[in-house]
Amino acid sequence: MVVADSPCSDTGTILRVRGPLEFTCRLDSTDALHTHKVISRTFQTLHSQVKSESCVLTVCDSPVIIWPNRGVHATPEEISPDTLCEDLHQWIQTDEQESAGKRSAKKKSKKSSAVNVINLRLMMEVTKTGPVSAPILSKTVQKSHFLSTTLPIDCVIRTTCNDTIKDAFERLLAALTHQLCEMEKVTLQHMKGTSLVKPEPLHFLLPEPKGLVTVVYPAGVPDSQLETQRKELHQQFELPDDWPYFRRANAYHFPNEPYKDGYLRNPHLFLTHPTLENGKVYLVQGIYSYHHYMQDHMDDNGWGCAYRSLQTICSWFQQQGYTERPVPTHKEIQQALVDVGDKQASFVGSRQWIGSIEVQAVLNQLLEVTSKIMFVSQGSELASKGRELANHFLTEGTPIMIGGGVLAHTILGVAWSETTGQIRYLILDPHYTGAEDLQVITDKGWCGWKGPEFWDQTAYYNLCLPQRPKII
Amino acid sequence: MGRGYIVEDAVEGYLSNLCEQQAAPVTGLLIGQSSAQRDFVVMATRTPQREESTSALDKEWVTEHARQVSRMLPGGLSVLGVFIITDADAKDTLTTLRQLVFAVENLISSDNLWSPADDDITDCVTLHVNPKTRKTVCRTFDVKDPKSMAKPADWKYQLGVCSSWSMVSCCLNVDMLVPLPDNRASTENMDKCLKEGLKVWTHQIESGVCLIDGKKLPDDTDLTSGQKRNVRQTYTAQLLITPDDQRLPDVVQRCGGSVSVRGAIHSRAYLHSNKPKARLAEKLLKRDVVSTVATRVQMMLEELLISEEEGKGSKDKQQTEQFCLPRRIFCPVKVSGPVCVCDYQFSDEGQSEVTDRLKEMLDMDAAEEDLDTRQETPAEILEKVVEAEPTVEAVEALEPKRNNYIGVAMATAVALLATAASMLYLNDV
Repeated sequence: MVVADSPCSDTGTILRVRGPLEFTCRLDSTDALHTHKVISRTFQTLHSQVKSESCVLTVCDSPVIIWPNRGVHATPEEISPDTLCEDLHQWIQTDEQESAGKRSAKKKSKKSSAVNVINLRLMMEVTKTGPVSAPILSKTVQKSHFLSTTLPIDCVIRTTCNDTIKDAFERLLAALTHQLCEMEKVTLQHMKGTSLVKPEPLHFLLPEPKGLVTVVYPAGVPDSQLETQRKELHQQFELPDDWPYFRRANAYHFPNEPYKDGYLRNPHLFLTHPTLENGKVYLVQGIYSYHHYMQDHMDDNGWGCAYRSLQTICSWFQQQGYTERPVPTHKEIQQALVDVGDKQASFVGSRQWIGSIEVQAVLNQLLEVTSKIMFVSQGSELASKGRELANHFLTEGTPIMIGGGVLAHTILGVAWSETTGQIRYLILDPHYTGAEDLQVITDKGWCGWKGPEFWDQTAYYNLCLPQRPKII
Repeated sequence: MGRGYIVEDAVEGYLSNLCEQQAAPVTGLLIGQSSAQRDFVVMATRTPQREESTSALDKEWVTEHARQVSRMLPGGLSVLGVFIITDADAKDTLTTLRQLVFAVENLISSDNLWSPADDDITDCVTLHVNPKTRKTVCRTFDVKDPKSMAKPADWKYQLGVCSSWSMVSCCLNVDMLVPLPDNRASTENMDKCLKEGLKVWTHQIESGVCLIDGKKLPDDTDLTSGQKRNVRQTYTAQLLITPDDQRLPDVVQRCGGSVSVRGAIHSRAYLHSNKPKARLAEKLLKRDVVSTVATRVQMMLEELLISEEEGKGSKDKQQTEQFCLPRRIFCPVKVSGPVCVCDYQFSDEGQSEVTDRLKEMLDMDAAEEDLDTRQETPAEILEKVVEAEPTVEAVEALEPKRNNYIGVAMATAVALLATAASMLYLNDV
């Protein structure tokens, strides 16, 4: 069901081809056998199209156009089949410059991610050399069904610094062909008499060296009904059964693609992590959104910090695909606590604080997630919790909510040295009241590494450590 | 400061002849190309005589003539305006000309499937020639503005106006499949469905990427730069398209059949020699692509309607019928010039019908040897009745891969939850 790209040692460039392919046919009967035949035949047409000389791949935001089936012919003429894939970057316009030609110096991409993506569009050339034969109008009169849709082709391959365009585009063609096969399989498999599904490709980032793999899912069929497929995939890729690698929510988000909801994702990735003598860095796994004071037109300045930390944790569970429930509002959180009997009905709409125990209760009530509570009688004791925190990030990988004194925070990671005992905490601070400005948030330490002195040394703290459900 | 029309020298002689030969009033069309700086008139053609010949001006006949002529003009050439040869009062004549020019423009643009562009010139020219004095009065009207007033314009004759015009051309595959409605599939229904399909296809062509001589040029590139002045150039274009976002939504629908248009066409556009830009070449060529397909489909449907009315259409519901669209034939306006007009030849017509039409519509005396029939060959109907399935005219057709997945697919039947956006429903026929 998938294509896995060959492993590579350095961060090369990802080539991503997207483009709709028109899928049109007429069905004389709704008999399954006939429908299958017609659909397969239509897929064959698309195979021919993709393999034909009319198939064209254009590099987005550049004048580069490549005909993969015409000896990898390209325009502009400076590009040949032996040109390195990496050199394509020089032709791509960024926002900073307008010229359509080559850039004079190779520009390094933003520090945010080491991943370079070149986006390509799949198009068809409709022109050819003449002379040509004039068109024929063909009319068929028969009561039947007409099916017209487009297939959302979306293929990726990874390239290394040594790959030429010829190498890369050969692999891209193979990926396109394979995706059509997968789409056909999914379409036929999920067809039942009177309904058809659209095949929908999604990409998933697996741990190295497997990298990015593409899975074709039937659109509209919820994750809960695709467990068999996911089991097969886990087996195929020899993945443990306790992380939902292939749930739709976990689909890889390409860099430079904006998120529709406007929240920042993983601001901690933009920091430089501390290096401690014999120390290691243990971080939250996966993706979370940064929730803080004043967001969503909710003025919770002064009382909502634990709520925001809880929202950050909920966003983690949603984005890893453990739940489809959107991040709860303050009211929904409060209502959940009323529902479990922890609070009176008057709690809803109030500005009362909550703590780790309440966070644990809400996670259980709304997301069916259990959490461990860690108690320290004095803030100074947190310095000795390195091993436990490290273990948490290793096995669970979830963000931690910590409440104590009068403040609540989120711990996203820990840098800890087993030999020296030195420790640093990666803190995401929900007390920030500004806009989603990554620069400010990282510069001013709203998301930043703190030392043990960050904690109130005499206050007691409760930590809520959410446990990851062991499911796929 | 009005518009300036540079007019081919031969037009002066042509108008002069009309003054002598025919009883006034004589109307006709002016054909050429408009640009931001100046306008070029390449030829003129009188309104053909009607069988029931009356000397009175027949506005509908003039506009219908314009419509027919418009179909015979490749990209870059269009009906720029109307002339009239009469010794009637100048003011009355101007009013008449104004009516004619607006009517002509309205009719022609109602046939156009392509969207108007911001840089289109919307001024049309009117020419009033007095047969006795040979005095000419040239005025323009902005046909976009119903209240437009006449503006004076320059009318200057020149030799070899289009002798160094360039041509951009291409041959293009057409592959369209549209459903017929679920009731009697009359020709009228076919017309509506095909128009819908053509609109979608037009949008794809308009949004398509256009390469000139293998390169994607920035819009403002002067095509003739770096080349010797006044040397004729020809450019080959390539068009890349993709199904667009504005397409008709995903659908599975009951239908009464389908209509397909499959084959290829030759398309071309002429560009004036005053530093034409790549953007202009792309715009004019794409319009010609759309026009030539739409025109032929329209002509085919007109033929079918006529046969239906005359009762010639076959009454038995044949499963599949195939009709050959006419092929495009070109004819140079001037023997030595690059600019050609065109005509469409049905499979049951000979070349003499083409030359007859050129004479009637464009008042051109063309001989059969002058005709360029090399760009398109007549359509050929395959002997076996082919089901209207989408086939690709693959230039290098590879053997279709054997499909191994059907067996697996049919064994499983997964119960499905429907969400409107992604599920397509078939109803039992």
